[in-house]
Amino acid sequence: MNHVLDQNALPTEHEAEAASSSYLMSLIAIIAGLPLPIVNLIATLIFYLANRKSTYFVRWHCTQALLSQCSLFLINSYGFWWSMSILFREPTITSNYIAYMLAAFIFNLTEFIVTVYTAIQTRKGIHVEWWFYGGLTKLLCKPYL
Amino acid sequence: MKKVILQGFSIALLFFATWFILAQVDWVDLLNIRKVSAKTEERLGTVFYNWFRKSDLERSDRALSKAMDSIINQICTSNNIERGPIKVHVLENPQVNGFALPDGHLVIYTGLINSVENEAELVGVVCHEIAHIQLNHVMNKLTKEIGLSVLLSMTTGNSNSTVITKAAKVLSSSAFDRELEKAADLEGVRYMIKANVNPEPFANFLSKLGNDKEEMPEYVTWVSTHPQSKERAEYVEKYGKNKVKHGRQILSAQTWNSVRALLKQR
Repeated sequence: MNHVLDQNALPTEHEAEAASSSYLMSLIAIIAGLPLPIVNLIATLIFYLANRKSTYFVRWHCTQALLSQCSLFLINSYGFWWSMSILFREPTITSNYIAYMLAAFIFNLTEFIVTVYTAIQTRKGIHVEWWFYGGLTKLLCKPYL
Repeated sequence: MKKVILQGFSIALLFFATWFILAQVDWVDLLNIRKVSAKTEERLGTVFYNWFRKSDLERSDRALSKAMDSIINQICTSNNIERGPIKVHVLENPQVNGFALPDGHLVIYTGLINSVENEAELVGVVCHEIAHIQLNHVMNKLTKEIGLSVLLSMTTGNSNSTVITKAAKVLSSSAFDRELEKAADLEGVRYMIKANVNPEPFANFLSKLGNDKEEMPEYVTWVSTHPQSKERAEYVEKYGKNKVKHGRQILSAQTWNSVRALLKQR
């Protein structure tokens, strides 16, 4: 993660709040939507769509929050359907399955911690760029609409 | 752009590496999962077996038990199958049926023994059911049809009799998937070949019961619930053809006849 501010001016109070909320949305959705893996993705997508015409700072963070949820969605979906097949088809729990769920848990936990940290920082108006997701967001989110 | 793609690949690689490293640990053993699932299956086996025993009397005649044991022992020894977990029960019921329950319970109805013309036909059905046990088809089928949560509730005594009745019917009077049936048929024929029992009578049995089905549908459960009898008879015959030159009888002719006579007495 790096904290390079690439906007011309510091975000306003309202912008910081909206940017921070984009991260909080995914956290609240995780709590509300467990164990369905799509709920947090939908929540961040809705928030992104609602703010897609907002200022650059808000748009940028909404995009980063949405992109970070996409990879988690893939990991969690695979785990979810694997669990469903164990519950309803073949009741065999293998070491491979447990290893996958642990790996998914580690990634989810890391994402959770980073999301909380970013939500706090953006609320203070500090710009936080994630590794990979930050670069990808830069490519997709341009300063002017 | 290149940097972002590289970082994306790194994240994917990191995930798969974490998964791979964690998969090196034998979690199933570490967390005692095998023991827990074996215990669940054992409890389910008892629940289902008790349910069948409530309506049908178990035949405990010494000669019959000894004969069935000899057949099972021979199949298991010839195929390196652990004999201990297979528990064979002969129940007094006119239906031509035999089926496997969880935890290695193998139920044979007297109607089946009465309907076979020779020992090899009975061995064929027994081998088919042992194959279902060995290939873990029973628990797979139950989970698919009933659901794991319902099965677990049965083991803790929190399930009502309607659910147990439904599950018992799934086991005794409905077939496995066509693929599983074929797998069990072929595995069963392999067992017969290794035990040096000619599989051709088993193919004839399938074919014969497929024809009889129209005449006495209420009794021929094993075939009416196992569809495509003709097709099965064909591939069993094809697979087992000329594999056993001089097939043997597991039981002596005298023992076989005495078993048949014993069942006809009642």
